[in-house]
Amino acid sequence: MPRFDTLQPAWMVWDVPAPARGGAVLEHTQDLNQFLAEIERRAFRMAQVALRDPDDALDVVQDAMLKLARSYGTRPSSEWRPLFYRILENGIRDLQRRRTVRKKFMVWLPGAKDDPDNEALDPLDTVADGGPDAPELLMQDQAMQRLESSMRALPARQREAFMLRNFEGLDVAETAKAMGCSEGSVKTHYSRAVHSLREQLGEVW
Amino acid sequence: MTEEAGESADTAFEKRSRALFQDSVESVDFAMRSRLTQARHGALEAAAAPKRSGRFLGVSMWKPVAGMAAAALLGVALWYGPLSGTLSGNHGVTNDSQNNLDDLDIVASSDPGSVDAIDMLQDDLDFYDFVDKAANVGPAA
Repeated sequence: MPRFDTLQPAWMVWDVPAPARGGAVLEHTQDLNQFLAEIERRAFRMAQVALRDPDDALDVVQDAMLKLARSYGTRPSSEWRPLFYRILENGIRDLQRRRTVRKKFMVWLPGAKDDPDNEALDPLDTVADGGPDAPELLMQDQAMQRLESSMRALPARQREAFMLRNFEGLDVAETAKAMGCSEGSVKTHYSRAVHSLREQLGEVW
Repeated sequence: MTEEAGESADTAFEKRSRALFQDSVESVDFAMRSRLTQARHGALEAAAAPKRSGRFLGVSMWKPVAGMAAAALLGVALWYGPLSGTLSGNHGVTNDSQNNLDDLDIVASSDPGSVDAIDMLQDDLDFYDFVDKAANVGPAA
């Protein structure tokens, strides 16, 4: 005996299983698409700051997008941001670990001791950009480069806390969720990060 | 520096660094923006696609099976020695390890009716002695 009281009015007449929720899925995908479109460039820049390599950063961001969509896409959209950044930071850490292992392995190979990770400075990188001549742009660019360099020198957890809180604008609770630690730890990491960065950059900023 | 002044400086620093970061985000080039868009669409399509069969909890079921098969094959290869079999008439494939075992049996045999290994060795020495003498004898005049 069908239980009409549990059926939606639209298909109550037909007494058949509810139709597929295609509309809901589409809307959900659109929401996710919009969310990812909003954060993708910031996420990419944060990954690039940590990894230096734009291709690696893109890979990590894409991987995080895929994992979020696959595993957490059905969660409430308010949870997406901390979850996404948690996945992203895990991806960054994994890649950095793999690099470390590769470096150790490469040391044993002949001819690789001088430059184990192919990280030799490209001479072109040291040449001033000949594009826009506006001094303001140049100064901003240099200031950002100094900031990035100083952030890379920070311990990973401090860097994560600083970027998530300051760049991405997550509150303490969201940052704690993204970093997988307590709110107290977030405050400590963030405070130390700000002081370290100010000490390093204070004179030139 | 007082605590308030320190906090104020911290805030100024945070604002400036945030603004710089935002500028750097805006200046991501169009090629990279395009790649990010493609990556997003690819991720959403992949997530929407049904998962492939033969997978359980996201792990391909073929991988462990293939791994076990490879381990079993390696075990067999190590147990029976190198796979350098030879075809020998009606006996089918006889591998080297089997030949080696047969040779060992013959040499180690203490059956009184069988050929003694020392005798075999003595026969060989007699033969080589004969060849040596034959070689030293010059051609008939």
